[in-house]
Amino acid sequence: MNKRTALLAALLAGAVLLCAGVIWRQHSGPGGGVLARVYQRGELMEEIRLDRVQEPYSFPLTGEGGAENVVEVEPGRIRIVSATCPDQVCVRQGWISDSTVPVVCLPNQVIVEIVGGEGFADTAAG
Amino acid sequence: MRTQRPADGARRITQMALLTAIALTIFMAEAQIPVPIPIPGIKLGLANIVTVYAVFALGPGDALLILVARVFLGAVFSGQMMTLFYSLGGGLLCWLVLLLLSRLLTWKQIWLCSPISAVFHNLGQLLVAAALLGSWTVLAYLPYLVVAGAASGLFTGLCAQLLAGRLKGLGRR
Repeated sequence: MNKRTALLAALLAGAVLLCAGVIWRQHSGPGGGVLARVYQRGELMEEIRLDRVQEPYSFPLTGEGGAENVVEVEPGRIRIVSATCPDQVCVRQGWISDSTVPVVCLPNQVIVEIVGGEGFADTAAG
Repeated sequence: MRTQRPADGARRITQMALLTAIALTIFMAEAQIPVPIPIPGIKLGLANIVTVYAVFALGPGDALLILVARVFLGAVFSGQMMTLFYSLGGGLLCWLVLLLLSRLLTWKQIWLCSPISAVFHNLGQLLVAAALLGSWTVLAYLPYLVVAGAASGLFTGLCAQLLAGRLKGLGRR
């Protein structure tokens, strides 16, 4: 193995270790956030205070070409319960209850993310 | 280092068509395998074996044509035109990195070119996703995609390395 190969391999290994460290930190610390935001094609569709949800409910998000994602909300958590895309990655991601990672449906361009609820004003538009 | 060698038209187009067909078949077969990790963008990327091999065997220019043809046909056959943008964004960044690496490294380091380019493939895909979704939120997936890209890229890289070793005699006249 020459120097160039070793350097590139070391750079790659470094990047992987760094990212593994970030993932580890994300999962060891408590992820905060109670404000869920649902976006479709970059537009904010819904804003939900998960700590104020009393009864579980769900609502559909319809997109172009018959695309549909159904979002389910329960006290303290949110998920995409069904989607019309073939890969179903967003459905299999399951419930999220903190800001660690969002739920994303790439084919239908839907994002469900949770952000910090601190300093949240009730006047925010939904 | 092997650079693009002058090959006659028929031979070149046959090789490229064959590699495109192989890449497309691998791509379609892989799409049937469910990915155990539910993070958008994570996959084995077996079709990358062909891309990495083509960069070194046929040269970066021909590899790009094979890549673009495979990505386009893959989107058409899977009926998911949205994947076209993600795959193209990832594929082009991956190819740019391979172009650079093919000048720095040689035929013997395909195993290393593949994971590096796979990481950039995932980065490109994520940037396209951020642009299409109009949100930087998706970058939260970056650490996962870097680790997954390096792991799957190493696997496909070793496959391409083995393949290159066996095909070396065949590729020459």
